[in-house]
Amino acid sequence: MASAAETTPKWSRRRRFTWRHVGQGAVPYALVAPVVVVMGAILGYPLYSLVRIALDRYGLTELIQHKGVYIGLKNFDSVLHDSVFWHTLLRTIVFAATNVGLTMVIGTFLALLLVRISTWVRVLLTSGLVLVWSMPPVVAVQVWNWMINSENGVLNYILTELHFGNYFQHNWMQTPLSQLGMVTTLIVWGALPFVVITIYAALSQVPRELVEAAEIDGARSWRVFLDVTVPVITPVLLILTSLSILWDFGVFTQAYLLIGQPHIISANYLMGIYLFEQGYVNANFGVGAAISILMLVIVAAMSVVYVRRMLRIGDVT
Amino acid sequence: MRLRVVVAAALAVALGVMAASAGASSGHQQANKLTVWLQVDAQSGWPDVVAAANQAFQAQNPGWTVNVQYQNWGDHLQKFDATIAGNDTPDVIEMGNTEMTAYMTSGAFADLSASKSQFPNSDHWLAGLAKSGLYQGKLYGVPYYAGSRVITYRTDLFKKAGIAKPPTSLALFTSDLKKVAKMEKGVKGFSAMYMAGTDWYSALDWVFDYGGTIATTHAHKWVGALNSKQSIAGLTAYKSFFNAVAPKSASTLDEANPAPYTVFSQGLAGAILGPAWFSCCTGTKYKAVTGQFVMPSHVAGKPIPGFLGGSDVAVPAESGNKAQAIQWIADFTSTANEQSLQNKGNIPNATNLLGNTVNARAAAQSWFVPQAKHWVDVENGNILRTMLAQILTGKLSVKQAATTASDNIAYTLNQS
Amino acid sequence: MSVRNARRNAWNVVGVAIFVVMIFPVFWMVSTAFKSDDQINALTPTWFPLHPTLEHFRAALAKPYFWDDVKNSVIVVLVTVTIAMVLAFLAAVALSKYRFTGRKLFIVLVIGVQMLPGAGLIIPLYVVLARYHEVNTLTGVILVYLTGVLPFSVWTLRGFILGIPKDLEEAAMVDGSTRLGAFARILLPLVAPGLVATSVFAFITSWNEYVWLSYFLGTSRQTDWGALMAASTLTAIPVVVFFLLIQRRIAFGLTAGAVRG
Repeated sequence: MASAAETTPKWSRRRRFTWRHVGQGAVPYALVAPVVVVMGAILGYPLYSLVRIALDRYGLTELIQHKGVYIGLKNFDSVLHDSVFWHTLLRTIVFAATNVGLTMVIGTFLALLLVRISTWVRVLLTSGLVLVWSMPPVVAVQVWNWMINSENGVLNYILTELHFGNYFQHNWMQTPLSQLGMVTTLIVWGALPFVVITIYAALSQVPRELVEAAEIDGARSWRVFLDVTVPVITPVLLILTSLSILWDFGVFTQAYLLIGQPHIISANYLMGIYLFEQGYVNANFGVGAAISILMLVIVAAMSVVYVRRMLRIGDVT
Repeated sequence: MRLRVVVAAALAVALGVMAASAGASSGHQQANKLTVWLQVDAQSGWPDVVAAANQAFQAQNPGWTVNVQYQNWGDHLQKFDATIAGNDTPDVIEMGNTEMTAYMTSGAFADLSASKSQFPNSDHWLAGLAKSGLYQGKLYGVPYYAGSRVITYRTDLFKKAGIAKPPTSLALFTSDLKKVAKMEKGVKGFSAMYMAGTDWYSALDWVFDYGGTIATTHAHKWVGALNSKQSIAGLTAYKSFFNAVAPKSASTLDEANPAPYTVFSQGLAGAILGPAWFSCCTGTKYKAVTGQFVMPSHVAGKPIPGFLGGSDVAVPAESGNKAQAIQWIADFTSTANEQSLQNKGNIPNATNLLGNTVNARAAAQSWFVPQAKHWVDVENGNILRTMLAQILTGKLSVKQAATTASDNIAYTLNQS
Repeated sequence: MSVRNARRNAWNVVGVAIFVVMIFPVFWMVSTAFKSDDQINALTPTWFPLHPTLEHFRAALAKPYFWDDVKNSVIVVLVTVTIAMVLAFLAAVALSKYRFTGRKLFIVLVIGVQMLPGAGLIIPLYVVLARYHEVNTLTGVILVYLTGVLPFSVWTLRGFILGIPKDLEEAAMVDGSTRLGAFARILLPLVAPGLVATSVFAFITSWNEYVWLSYFLGTSRQTDWGALMAASTLTAIPVVVFFLLIQRRIAFGLTAGAVRG
């Protein structure tokens, strides 16, 4: 019971409390257990079967018999010796780099824009971004189909009306390059909201005083950006870039649905599509599993830097 | 806090349990339930046929329910594979006739040879269609329906252009179409004949018309035949036909996007080539002026060979309700149902049911794909579509494109 | 007009222009839902259907399973988000507040799961559901979404918790109270905006996954685009409102762990 004489704050009187002094015990494990149990229950078997099937010859016949034939690393061997694999890998790297680059550059620009505009425009633009973000990819693909289709798509109509040339019934999906280009517009459009909102949030952490001090000193806005803003938001930019690389490398749904199965050929394969076509459409499940594992290894290798950084952040001291 | 967390977690679990019980049908094989997979064509085209089958089945098997699930052509095989992996297959499944071989050779279906007499009109099944359900002499697939391709055209435009009766040769057809094109020159986006360039079901008609074929067997190995002299003549004829009467913008399009009848319904096509049931969807505006005739060969007086598409129904080997599945199929392919299918523009599964419809006449001259285990891979790899796109865009000469495709097809079919 | 105002107005114009470009596909989706089939297929696009038709909506509503589908998708997403928040919060607390063997392994696993190629898991996942007899049930779907939503939620909540100033936490420690008790009274209210933000992310991810999964795994019914478009727009509205309300709080939490790190 507090007496009237106690004027000093309660917490300064007790000994310094640190988490380290708390017993290790079973508490952290109990807290983590539910997540591990759920993930393990669902993903445990798929991961095990992925590895096991990758070492088997597993086609339709084996599927029906529920039994594969062990062939060791032959699946990996045939994939790594398939020129389609290497071409697809290169194409996917270029595709991912383009998408990530566009997303981050445009995203940063839009975030900077959000800082400079009036409140009502900011609310408008943010609402617009959230509306875009909440559109399911499958729905977005269908809308893209309506907009760019050669027969009566509104894109051709707008371009022709604005006198950019005669785009009447122009086919935007004629070559692999244009097909992947259209997929890029769809992916970047869908990825921007999350990136813009996160960078904008990071920008609001940049101390206003520093920016104003630099501006008063006569620094041009470009220099202010580079010297003051970028160092503060670099960690966030790094996180977003790593996440984007992860996501854009594994793109499957949008590309597969937008290009359409009748137009999927090895010249427009992305890794995700290659995996699905080889593994599932051709009912070559063993090869599909091998490709999945190779993709996992490649993405993990690309993310090593990101994972190391993540492990360091927030280390309990 | 502990209490709050526990309450929240309990609530979530309770909601989950409620959801599970309120949710859709459970996955395990319930007693007295028959699961049937049909394509969406049946859902939109002839739902009454399905209903009749269900009614008859339930009358014979009181206490049983039939759960019909409609699938899309694009992904139904992947879904079927998933159910095989999960021991969760349907009891009856509709398969395209080009899809049967791969699954029959893998042992996916139950042997129905012993029950053949149970199926109506089984002695008179259409040879071409029945063949797709046979493997090593055993019956695995029951013919369901077939369809050939016919020309659906605008009777008013042809009349206005002075064309009195349907053309009897390809050359006449081409000049008729050119007349219509000239007449409608002012209509933006109009083409005398709308064809999707990569629609190989239609394009290969020309190859077979000139005596070519897709592939042949020599000493147990497949040899590609699209680069034979006859096939190349056919492909060249197709190219000049396409360039003369079809829209250039459709050179690389496929036959589903847009659907030819959609183009027709917008008034932008004088004629389209496709299944006879296309007449269902030519739009209210042109319904009264829609007619059909059999597309002629380059040889006067003969019809051009058309692709004999069709579906079989099979019973997956893992089904636990084989006897009931067979009964349902018998009800589904009843004489009355097959007549009904014919009335809607399809070809029934038996010769004794054939009427003198335009469809039946077209089927008199037909072609089919090589019956090979890996034919499905050729289709999925879009080898034929790529070849047609290369030819029509001029990217490769007919000979180059045909040779590449031929080699790819042989390689694919000869896989182990 | 001062230079600053002129500058601001110029940026405003840019902002509105970008808004128009970004929102156009959404606008196109909504306007298409109200167009008649003729207008949709016509060569000349109709911008604002002057005679909007409700036939697509009516057709969607008339379909036998429409309300079932709506009910199911709402249940699935809400249950997923609730369970995910509870489980992820517990795990996030463990990750940010405790040091225990296996901590780094758990982090690597959480990040690693997000690297699995989705396309490769379709059939194995189906097999798992079939084994538990949970194909085509809501429970099965919820379990699959949880695996998609949990890793990211754990990660984000960890960031939020790390972002809370240490002195605020320690201020809560009173002699004799349990650590978990301190959580309830101090940590939870502080992390509340983070929880809301993460649940918004989880909500959107689950909603998007639902459409994808039912496309690939569930029973095929001819996709009714009209209804799907309508549902998409409707679910977007509360998300937008939520977001605008807690925008500032999100800023703090999203970047806390990273900016300070």
